[in-house]
Amino acid sequence: MRYKKTINGITELESSLCIKKIDSNGKEWIVPKNPANTDYQEYLEWVAEGNTPEEADEI
Amino acid sequence: MATIINADTSNGLKLTSDTSGEIELQSAGVTKAKITSSGLQNASGVAITSQAGKNRIINGNMMIDQRNSGGVTTPANNVYTLDRWNAGLSQSSKYSVQQVVDAPSGFYNSIKATVLATVSLGATDYFMLKHKIEGNNVADLNFGTANPETITLSFWVKSSVTGTFGGGIQNSNESRGYAFNYTISSANTWEYKSVTLTGDTTGTWDKTNGTGLWLNLALGVGTTYSKSTGSWGAGPVLSATGATNLLATGSATIQFTGVQLEANTTATPFEHLQYSQQLELCQRYYTKFTATNAYSTFGFATAATNARMTTQYHFPTTMRAAPSTSYSGTLCVLYGTGRANITSSPDSQLNINGGYVNYDVSGTPFTAITYSGLIGANNDVNCSVEFNSEL
Repeated sequence: MRYKKTINGITELESSLCIKKIDSNGKEWIVPKNPANTDYQEYLEWVAEGNTPEEADEI
Repeated sequence: MATIINADTSNGLKLTSDTSGEIELQSAGVTKAKITSSGLQNASGVAITSQAGKNRIINGNMMIDQRNSGGVTTPANNVYTLDRWNAGLSQSSKYSVQQVVDAPSGFYNSIKATVLATVSLGATDYFMLKHKIEGNNVADLNFGTANPETITLSFWVKSSVTGTFGGGIQNSNESRGYAFNYTISSANTWEYKSVTLTGDTTGTWDKTNGTGLWLNLALGVGTTYSKSTGSWGAGPVLSATGATNLLATGSATIQFTGVQLEANTTATPFEHLQYSQQLELCQRYYTKFTATNAYSTFGFATAATNARMTTQYHFPTTMRAAPSTSYSGTLCVLYGTGRANITSSPDSQLNINGGYVNYDVSGTPFTAITYSGLIGANNDVNCSVEFNSEL
């Protein structure tokens, strides 16, 4: 599992609303920073283990 | 002339059948309903189940498979297979999962797990099928209080391996659990099983949109997560001590269907729902817009920049939580007479009812942000857009 920061598609600044998850099959998911979303819960656990997300893709 | 039967004791009126076990209600000499050892039935012998929503398991008859459409999948840990059925595994590629057309009378589909490689279980190994029930749907069971409901789990099972198999029921953080077991007596034969237990009086049980109750149907679980049956205790509880390890046998299979969990002291007939009802229940947790032809469209889009489209989606039902989103296949923006393929998705802003997803396209085809269009498949019947808010 990998994670990337995302860029707000309107403001083109780093998004405070989403992160990008690249799953074990290489598939990309846009994950909302919503505490009830289990993908986001997994991301927070991953960060708590000392990991940091990759920088967002250039746009 | 009316005939009235009055009870003459304080125990109420009781009708007792003969050894056939059947009591019939007739009108003008015609049977209208009957009670048999299987419960209340209509004149044709079809179960009468008037308690709508009694089954807390969604897709217990395994009829919905939005992700794989009946295809075989070798899931990673904590990945969903058939709708609402999640794979739990401590080692990858040891079993596959598939929705199959093989079921006992009264059902059509089942979920089938097939051993791909044998495993000699270590203490912390686990292989299982999981079903997480939303707290909102089990809040009335009063778990974690002095007066919890008694619940009954029932299901049909068929396996190439006989023996005593196990499972567990847990709370969301796995701090409390109850192990159960059941015996498969005949290989490759559908057998009906039920387990009745009184709810837990302690522990924290989510009663909101998180995981309220978690069912594990174990395929093979090591000693660390296997517990004694018949009482609540500290978790995790994934299976029963001494249960059979399906993964000890190469190519072994196990199938389940008709899984029902109800507030009752005994198992009652499975609650069958219409396909559309069952699908809608599943879509609260996972929704997939799939192309039904090569150029199916999924939503309305408007240009945010000369290379980006903002697409509005509206979900078919209210989702459990704001979902994650992804897409597969050749997704494009249809604008005027042109089509621009999607290359990536930078971000989204979705809530439980819908919202927008931004998509970047190749080139800079939109010369003004007044451009609008449709998002959809570009000559690809396998194109899809997914929204996930599973537990």
